[in-house]
Amino acid sequence: MKTRLPVNFLIGAVLVALVLGAAALSLVWTPHDFAQMNIKAKFGPASSTYWLGTDQLGRDVVSQLMAAARNSMTVALAAVLIGGSIGTALGLLASAIGGWVEDLVMRIADIGFAFPALLFAIMLAAVFGPSLTNAVLAISFINIPVFARVARASANQVWTREYVAAAQAAGLNRAVISWDHILPNIGAAIIVQATIEFAVAILAEAALSYLGLGAQPPAPSWGRMLSEAQTLMYLAPQLAIYPGLCIVAAVLGFGLLGDGLRDITDPRLSRER
Amino acid sequence: MIELQDFSVSFKSGTALRQASLAIRPGDRTGIVGESGSGKTMLAMSLMGMAPAAADLSGKLVLDGRDMTGADDRGWEALRARKVAMIFQEPMTALNPLRRVGDTVMDPLRLHLGLSKAEARARALALFEEVGIPSPVERLRQFPHELSGGQRQRVVIALALACDPELLIADEPTTALDANVALRIIDLLVRLAEERQMALLFISHDLAAVARATRDIVVMYGGDIVERGPTAEVLTTPRHPYTQGLLGARPNPVAEPRGADGKRPRLPTIPGSVPTLQDLPSGCRFSGRCPVELPVCAGTRPGSTLISATRLANCHALKQEVSA
Amino acid sequence: MGYFLFRRTLGFVLTLFAVSVVVFAVMNVLPGDPALTILGLDATEDALAALREQLGLNDPLLTRYVHWVWNALHGDFGISHSFGIPVAGLIGERLPMTISLAVSGMIFTVILALVMGIGAAANHRKPGDWGMMFISQLGIAIPAFWLSMLLVLLFAVKLRWLPPGGFAGWDDPVAAMRSLILPTVALALVQSSVLARVTRSSALEVMRQDFVRTARATGFSRRRILWRHVLPNALVPIVTIVGMQFAALVTGTIVIENVFYLPGLGRLIFQSISNRDLPTVQALVMLFAAIVVTANFIVDLLYVVIDPRLKARA
Ligand SMILES: Nc1ncnc2c1ncn2[C@@H]1O[C@H](COP(=O)(O)OP(=O)(O)OP(=O)(O)O)[C@@H](O)[C@H]1O
Ligand code: SF4
Ligand SMILES: [Mg+2]
Repeated sequence: MKTRLPVNFLIGAVLVALVLGAAALSLVWTPHDFAQMNIKAKFGPASSTYWLGTDQLGRDVVSQLMAAARNSMTVALAAVLIGGSIGTALGLLASAIGGWVEDLVMRIADIGFAFPALLFAIMLAAVFGPSLTNAVLAISFINIPVFARVARASANQVWTREYVAAAQAAGLNRAVISWDHILPNIGAAIIVQATIEFAVAILAEAALSYLGLGAQPPAPSWGRMLSEAQTLMYLAPQLAIYPGLCIVAAVLGFGLLGDGLRDITDPRLSRER
Repeated sequence: MIELQDFSVSFKSGTALRQASLAIRPGDRTGIVGESGSGKTMLAMSLMGMAPAAADLSGKLVLDGRDMTGADDRGWEALRARKVAMIFQEPMTALNPLRRVGDTVMDPLRLHLGLSKAEARARALALFEEVGIPSPVERLRQFPHELSGGQRQRVVIALALACDPELLIADEPTTALDANVALRIIDLLVRLAEERQMALLFISHDLAAVARATRDIVVMYGGDIVERGPTAEVLTTPRHPYTQGLLGARPNPVAEPRGADGKRPRLPTIPGSVPTLQDLPSGCRFSGRCPVELPVCAGTRPGSTLISATRLANCHALKQEVSA
Repeated sequence: MGYFLFRRTLGFVLTLFAVSVVVFAVMNVLPGDPALTILGLDATEDALAALREQLGLNDPLLTRYVHWVWNALHGDFGISHSFGIPVAGLIGERLPMTISLAVSGMIFTVILALVMGIGAAANHRKPGDWGMMFISQLGIAIPAFWLSMLLVLLFAVKLRWLPPGGFAGWDDPVAAMRSLILPTVALALVQSSVLARVTRSSALEVMRQDFVRTARATGFSRRRILWRHVLPNALVPIVTIVGMQFAALVTGTIVIENVFYLPGLGRLIFQSISNRDLPTVQALVMLFAAIVVTANFIVDLLYVVIDPRLKARA
C-alpha cells in the first residue's frame, strides 16, 4: 500500500528546500557580491543584471536575500541546537529523577516562559550592546523551557513501557537508560518540535534584526533589510516586499514541515484539520 | 401521525437503513430491538431530521400529513421538541456541563413557547415534579455534574417533555443506568406517555425493558426491519429466524429471573457477528448467519409475510411455510 | 477553593520573585561597569567613582537587589540617566499609550479569532473552513512588523487614508483612534491567527459531544447552538492560549510601537537601550515580565469561573 504524505509536509518540504538551497548556494555563489555598492545603479529596477533590482546603495537585492537566508538559517540552527539540547537534557533529567527535582526543573521552565525572546534580547543588548550573538543567545534561552517540557512529557510516557522496566530490572542505571532507551524513543517528538521552533527562531531573528538587536551592518539579514526599507518606503516600496516574502516562505516552510512530520510520526497528536 | 415509507439512509460505505416503513399513531408505544449496528439509532435520528450530513436519504417521511422528505434544518427546527422529542442513552454527557439544569430546561420553553422567565421557571419546576425529581427547587440551580445518573436522565426527560411533544423517542434511555434506576425510568416513561397521550418510541437492547414499556415491537437487523407485531406475541412466539436467535431458547424473557448482578439478562449472542456495512449481503441481511437459510436468501431480499392480522415478518423460509 | 486560591497566589508571587532575580542578575551580575557605560570612556576616574557611589554600585549585590525590589514595591524605580527624571514618571507618561494599544489589540484579536474559529468549525470541511485555515497559516508566518509595513504601504502611502505612524495624544480622540487603527490591526491579525485555530479545533471537539446533539434535538438553530453551547464549552483551551497570547501581544506592542513611532513603553525601552540607560531598561523589562506572569495567573483563576466543575475540585 502506498502511503500518501500529508499535503502540509510536501508544501513545507518544497519551501524549506528552496530556502536551504538558496542559503547553501550563497556560500559558493551569488549573482553579485551582496555587499558591493554601486551608487550609480541605486534603486535600480529589476533587470537581467539585477534580477530584483538594487537598493539605496546600489547593492544587488537577490544576492543580499541569498546571503541573508544563510544568516537566518545559521541563527535558527544555532539557537535550536543550543536551546534544544539543553532543554532536552533538562527534560530527560527531570523525567529520570522525578520527585522534587522534576518539580523544580519544571517550575524553572515556567519562569523561562515569562521571558519572551525579545525581552531577553533587550536585557542582553542593554548590558553588552546589540549583536547577533546576543540574539542567538536570547532565542536559545527561550527554547530551553519549550524543549524541557516536550522532552519530559514524552520521556515520562516512555518510562512506563515494559522494555524500560526490563532494563531497570536488569540493573541499568537511570542515566544509561535515559541515553539508550528514552532518548531514541522521544527523538521523533523532539525533531518535530525542533522543526517548529526553527520557524519560530527565524521569525524571532527577523524581528530582532529589524529592531537593531540582531545582525549588525553590513551582515545581511532579512529583518535589517526591512528596517532599512521602511525609511525608504515612499521612494522604493519594492524593497519592503522581497525580504518579507522570504521570511514568510521560510517560516511557513518550517512550520508546515513540522506539522506534517507530526502528522506522520504521531497521528494521535495531530490536530483535527 | 409520523410515517416512514421505504425510507433509506445510505453512506458511501453502505446502507445503514434499507427501505424502512413504519407508522406511529398518537398514543402508540413501540419498541425497537436489534443488535448493535442494526440501524435503530439511524431510524430514530431520521424521525428527528437528524440523520448524519454525510448520509444519502431516500424514500418518504410524512409528519402530520406534511412531507418532510427534503426538509432542511430550518424546517425541522420548528418541529423538534414540539412534535418529536428525543432522549439519549448517555445522561452523563447529554447535558451542557456549563449550564444549570434549570436553565437548560427553560431554554426551549422561552425560545419555542415564548414564555417569560418567571413562567418558564414555573413550567420547569412543574416538569421536574412530573418526572419525579426530588427537591426540584434546589435542583433547578444545580449543574449536571452535581446530579446522579438517574436524576440527570430525568432532567433529560423533562427537557424532552418541555414543549409537549406528540412523539417521544427514547434511544436506549436506561443502558447507562443501574437496574433499579432503569426500571423506575421505564415506568416513568410509560406513565408519562399514558398521561400525556404521547406516542413513545422505545429503543433498547434490553428485551425485558422493551416488554415492560411497549405494546408493539419492531425487530431490526442490518438496517432492515425484519419482524414486527404486538410485543407480547413477538417475544413469546418469534417467527423470524433472527428474532428467534435474539430470544435464544427462552420462551418468555419477561419471566426470566434476574442474574446475580441484579440485571436482567442481555440479548443472548447469536453465533457469528454483525457484518460491517460494506459486507452486508445484498439479499436477506441475515443470510450467512441464519440457521435455516435457503439458497435464494443471499441474493434476493425477502418481502413481507403476513403472519396474523397484526404481525409481519420478512423471511423466505417463513413465506414458504405460511403459503404451504 | 480557598486552598486553590492560596496555592495559585503563592505560585504567582514566587514566580514574580524568581523573575525579578533573573532580571536583576542579568542586568547587574554580568561583567560591565554601569558607571563607565553611562559616562563614556573619557570620564575621569573621580567622576566614575562618584557615580558608582551615587548608584550604590559599591554595595554588596544582595543589598542592591533588596533595595531595588523594596523601592520598586514603593513605586520607585530609580532615576533615568538619560532623562534625569524618575523612571516611574517616565513609565507613567507612556503607559497609557501601551495600554491603549494592548487593549485594543487584544479585543480585536479575540473578536476576530472567535468569529473566524467558530465560523470555520461551523463550515467544517467546506471552503469557508479551508479559507480560514489558509489565511491563519499565513498569519502565523507573517512577521507583525512586516505586516505593519505592508499596511502602511497600502493605507498610508498609496491610499492615504490613515497616518503612517506617530501619535499626538488623546486630546483629539478622532486623530488618536485613526493613529491606532493600523497598529491594532497589525497586532491583532497575527495574534488572532493562532487563536482562531485553537478556537476552531476546540469547537470541533465540543461539537462532537452529546449535549450538542441534545440541543439540536431540542430544536435550536445551529447558530444559537454554536454561540450558546459550543463556544462556552470550547473556552477553556481558548482562554489558556489567550493568556499566553497576552504575553506575545505585550511584547508585540514593543515591536509595533517601534514600527509606527508610537510613544509608549516599547519606544522608551529602545531609547533607553541606545542611551544605555540601565535603570530604565531594568525597570521596563521587569514590568513587561510581570505583566506576562500576571496574565498567566489571571488565566489560572479564570478557569474556575468558566467551568463550574473545576470549582468543586478546586
Ligand atoms: N456517520 C456515519 N457514517 C457511516 N456509517 C455510519 C454513520 N453513522 C452510523 N453508521 C453506521 O450505520 C449503522 C447503523 O448504526 P446505528 O447507530 O443506527 O446502530 P444501532 O442499532 O443504534 O446500534 P447501537 O445498538 O450500537 O446503538 C452502523 O453500521 C454504523 O456503523
Ligand atoms: S430470509 Fe433466509 S437468511 Fe433471511 S432469515 Fe429468512 S431464512 Fe434466514
Ligand atoms: Mg444506537
